[in-house]
Amino acid sequence: MSEDTAVIAESTMVLSGISKNYDGVAALTDVTLDIRRGEVHALLGENGAGKSTLMGVASGEVTPDGGTITGAGQVIDRLTPAVAAQLGIAIVHQHPAVLPDLTVSENIRVAVPASVLGDGSEQTRTMQRMLADVGSSAHLEDRVVGLSVAQRHLLELAKALALEPRLLILDEPTAPLGADSVDMLFERVRRAAASGTAVVYITHRLAEVRELADRVTVLRDGKVRGVAEVDAITDDELLALIVGRQFESTFPPKPPQEELGDEVLVVDGISGAGFSDVSFTARAGEIIGISGIVGNGQSEVLRALSGLGSFSGSIVVGRDSRSSRNLRKQSAYLPADRHAEGLMMSLSVRENAALSALDRFRGRVLLDRGREDSLVGAELDALEVKTASPETVVSALSGGNQQKVVLARALLARPAIVLADEPTQGVDVGARAEIYRILREVSASGVPVVVASSDAKELEGLCDRVLVMSRGAVLDVVEGVDVTEQRLIHSAVSATVRQGGVARAVSSASTRLGRFLTGDYAPVVILALVMLLLGAFVLSQNSRYLAPFNLTSVMTSCAALGFIALGQTIVLMTGGIDLSVGPLAGFLVVIGSFFLTAEKSAAVMVLGLLVMLAAAVGTGAANGSLIRFAKFTPVAATLASYIGIQGLSYLLRDSPGGNIAISVTRLVKTKVGPVPVVFLLLVVVAVALEYGLRRRLPGLRLRALGSNEDASRRVGVNVDRTAVLAYVAASFFVFLGAIVLLGQLGIGDPAQGVGYTLSSITAVVLGGTSLLGGRGTFIGTLLGAGLIVQVFNAMVFLDLSQTWQYFFQGALIVAAAVIYSQVRRARA
Amino acid sequence: MDPKNETAAPSRRAPRSLSRGLLTVVAALALLVAAGFVLAPSSVSSGAVQSMLPFAAVLAIVALGQTLVVMQGGIDLSVAGSVSLVIVIVTHQAYGDDSKVLPAALLALGVSLLTGLGNGLLIGRLGLNPIVATLGTNALLYAAVLGVSGGTPRQTTDLLARLAGDSTLGVPHALVVAVVATAVVTVVVKKTASGRRFEAVGANGSAAWAAGLRVQGFKAGGYVFAQVFYWLGALLLAGILNKPTAYQGDSYLLASVAAVVLGGTSLLGGRGNLVATAVAALFLTQLDQFVLALGFDFAGKTLVQSAAFAIGVALYTINWSRLRRRSDRRAATVAA
Repeated sequence: MSEDTAVIAESTMVLSGISKNYDGVAALTDVTLDIRRGEVHALLGENGAGKSTLMGVASGEVTPDGGTITGAGQVIDRLTPAVAAQLGIAIVHQHPAVLPDLTVSENIRVAVPASVLGDGSEQTRTMQRMLADVGSSAHLEDRVVGLSVAQRHLLELAKALALEPRLLILDEPTAPLGADSVDMLFERVRRAAASGTAVVYITHRLAEVRELADRVTVLRDGKVRGVAEVDAITDDELLALIVGRQFESTFPPKPPQEELGDEVLVVDGISGAGFSDVSFTARAGEIIGISGIVGNGQSEVLRALSGLGSFSGSIVVGRDSRSSRNLRKQSAYLPADRHAEGLMMSLSVRENAALSALDRFRGRVLLDRGREDSLVGAELDALEVKTASPETVVSALSGGNQQKVVLARALLARPAIVLADEPTQGVDVGARAEIYRILREVSASGVPVVVASSDAKELEGLCDRVLVMSRGAVLDVVEGVDVTEQRLIHSAVSATVRQGGVARAVSSASTRLGRFLTGDYAPVVILALVMLLLGAFVLSQNSRYLAPFNLTSVMTSCAALGFIALGQTIVLMTGGIDLSVGPLAGFLVVIGSFFLTAEKSAAVMVLGLLVMLAAAVGTGAANGSLIRFAKFTPVAATLASYIGIQGLSYLLRDSPGGNIAISVTRLVKTKVGPVPVVFLLLVVVAVALEYGLRRRLPGLRLRALGSNEDASRRVGVNVDRTAVLAYVAASFFVFLGAIVLLGQLGIGDPAQGVGYTLSSITAVVLGGTSLLGGRGTFIGTLLGAGLIVQVFNAMVFLDLSQTWQYFFQGALIVAAAVIYSQVRRARA
Repeated sequence: MDPKNETAAPSRRAPRSLSRGLLTVVAALALLVAAGFVLAPSSVSSGAVQSMLPFAAVLAIVALGQTLVVMQGGIDLSVAGSVSLVIVIVTHQAYGDDSKVLPAALLALGVSLLTGLGNGLLIGRLGLNPIVATLGTNALLYAAVLGVSGGTPRQTTDLLARLAGDSTLGVPHALVVAVVATAVVTVVVKKTASGRRFEAVGANGSAAWAAGLRVQGFKAGGYVFAQVFYWLGALLLAGILNKPTAYQGDSYLLASVAAVVLGGTSLLGGRGNLVATAVAALFLTQLDQFVLALGFDFAGKTLVQSAAFAIGVALYTINWSRLRRRSDRRAATVAA
């Protein structure tokens, strides 16, 4: 390529003047980035420099506050993940956007358009080729929840490459990968670029920039600090751009060897989940680091030391040997994910900081607020926490100050040992130096400090001794002047080359039977067995149990409950819940009782059905909108409609009335032999829904949403629309149930229907659908509804009172919930 | 990783302090009373207020229990069965015999504690979804209700009627109990180490566990103490009503959740606004009075409740200042 064509090379995407603020804190300020066809453009910067936010803007996941996005020569007004996909923009996230409850093949199908994948057996072959192409060993039918971190990354990469994108964004793709996978990745990236794809490669490793990139842009504190051809800039110049002026002064001085105190921590041969036979000691004043490629047991060792994970072997802190329980009480743990494990985001700075030291503020009976304020205030001052007031909600603080609040809590509690996992992840540069200083002071006071970090530079600056871990074992211990970034990376990488890094098996016991027992259909078999046993028992007590009349009545009742429960299943699959289904069923019957009476013409009856349908759809849309757009919790939203719909029912009729025409009830009760047609319909619908759930895109999207909303959004699922449609669909099935109910009751009664809320949830739970969303079966729900109706019916034949009816209903739901949750827990 | 992405989601929920929930319900109550004077004077007559207050007190006490559960990110559907069961135990066991009231009340307390422990075990320890678990226990409780009562109501005992239903110096006894209960639970939650830990566990269980707290115990404790409040409320109700039915607790499920939500306690758990819950209970009870005084029937009353509930939730969930800014901007562009 001649010089000229390179200069005027067309831009695949231009971001210009992009700004983004979160709570008044600038994440990006006037950032301009020109990404050209066929180049590998490295985006360099420290943690928190704004790289991921910028790429979020480029892929439509983050809406910028200002600036313009130009793609394919046109200004794009509003870039969403869906628009980005149409424009041929693919992103490989640092945290893969994969859906844990879906299988590998389902993950691919929900993210990659059918036009790429083809149909039928061709589709399977395409998917297998995609996986093989990135060197993945995962099976298409494996559930992603069981895959290793590296395998998830390869899956993410496979999805992106399959799109043959015009712009490919890779966000720190090599962090969890072994060296052979890294080579494969680089080769794929070069190949993509050669074919004209523009590649943005986010990293903080200079070596990778040198090896791969044509041009480089450096971000610091949300601003562009420099753009250059890689060949035209030195490493030192790049470093200066990345870290700015604080490069040298970031870390506190390390104490000389002779000033160290006695041993304060002795870890002897501890093993646990994810690590084995780890031993080391620390003297007073030493900071111990744990290094290695992400996911090689570093975090697990820290968790064991903090009492959050179990271990065998011995841990001696100070003079005492410690149990897990003791460590959990006495240690201070700074988690990598502060939002999940560090802070109570809705509570104030003071409340967060004081939490572990409340006993120190105890007055005679109650807490002494004065003492609490002064002690907490002093600690916050000492750590230079920047907050408007101690009463400010902690979520309003910046990442660095939040981390300091976690530290303040730790120090106020006077811990026996301090464990820090990625202590400066998401922390701004200024606060970083202060956190290092604080950790150094803690260590100097004789409290052992252990730090795990994926940033070798950080360990080099902070630690006196560093353990390098690979695959759960300590590979190397580096001390004193040897603690350098190069040495740490070399140790970690040289180990993984031989061991292959990523080849962790998914599950050795992935047999057919095993997969079935832990799969979604096990509850179906259990339920079927219970129903058969119950049926046999009742039959042995009363021979009329199988009389056609009884069968018909049971199946009709089952149809009403079944349709409503199918609707409930759809909503639960998304992780929501619909409490309004019962009142809605009753309300629809009441509406019907005005139109479907004896003297009305067929046209009026059809109109009545349409009105019922409209009421159902409107309710679903209202529920969904309240939840998605007004941010109600599903319980709050559907509770509001629960009460409201009941009011409407009573508004229309304050007592039973409006006899349904015989022609209508007869139609609803049409039978084939003893089997009501509505029941047959229910079975057909359930099977069709099941098929849709597994094989069709809307079903996959539904489960994707319930499995992980954020990841769903990132793979292009329109989550708001999917969720609202789920509530509309639920209401539609309530409409079908209401038609059956109409025929069954024969009259409009405002008091009827309410009970269906609880029994529909019971049916779904019995069927094994998880209330957490993402997993479940319609067939299970169908059987669950069948069992409930069967139990009620059996009460009559066994001549048991209503007391027993309630008892069995309660016992069934509790037993099913306990059994299924224990099975799921064992599986996880 | 980019920190700004992490902070994006939680920051959308506007930080709210303790006083906002209280402020909202007190303002709502004041509005309601003012509307009463203007539109339906009979709803604020001394007779109406005297008869309303005991029911508000019962709802307040029951809703305090529900608040404790909601603070743990849960919801307690078994409140209906619990209240009903306590009522049938004290009305059936002590039927027409004042001396049996105390033993019956203690027996009911024992049953309530057992229920709370059961819920706590299922949810705190076995990790069941609160809706499912309490749905199950509620059915079991109703089995017991029918077992004890056969579904028939009984006249309440004179002693209980005097203790719970009467007034002294114009102040209904139930109201006194409710005020004391609110004060005690507020002090315990806000001013003791255990209470503060309880709140922290509700705000973020994983973080509380990492900080060394006994998360399962606190979670289970919420359900147990909730039952004590249900018991107390039901006991009062059994005395206030002349002939309570076997299903008396049914109406307290939605009402208690509504009071919690209107008080500004998030259904996602965390900080509990206990005083605000109690005031919200008073508001909801007076709202019923007001709507009935306006001449609405049951249907109208229910619709107004639903609207009040939805508006109450929306006050907290919708970012009004952002909406206002957006509409201002739109107005500005139109003007330009």
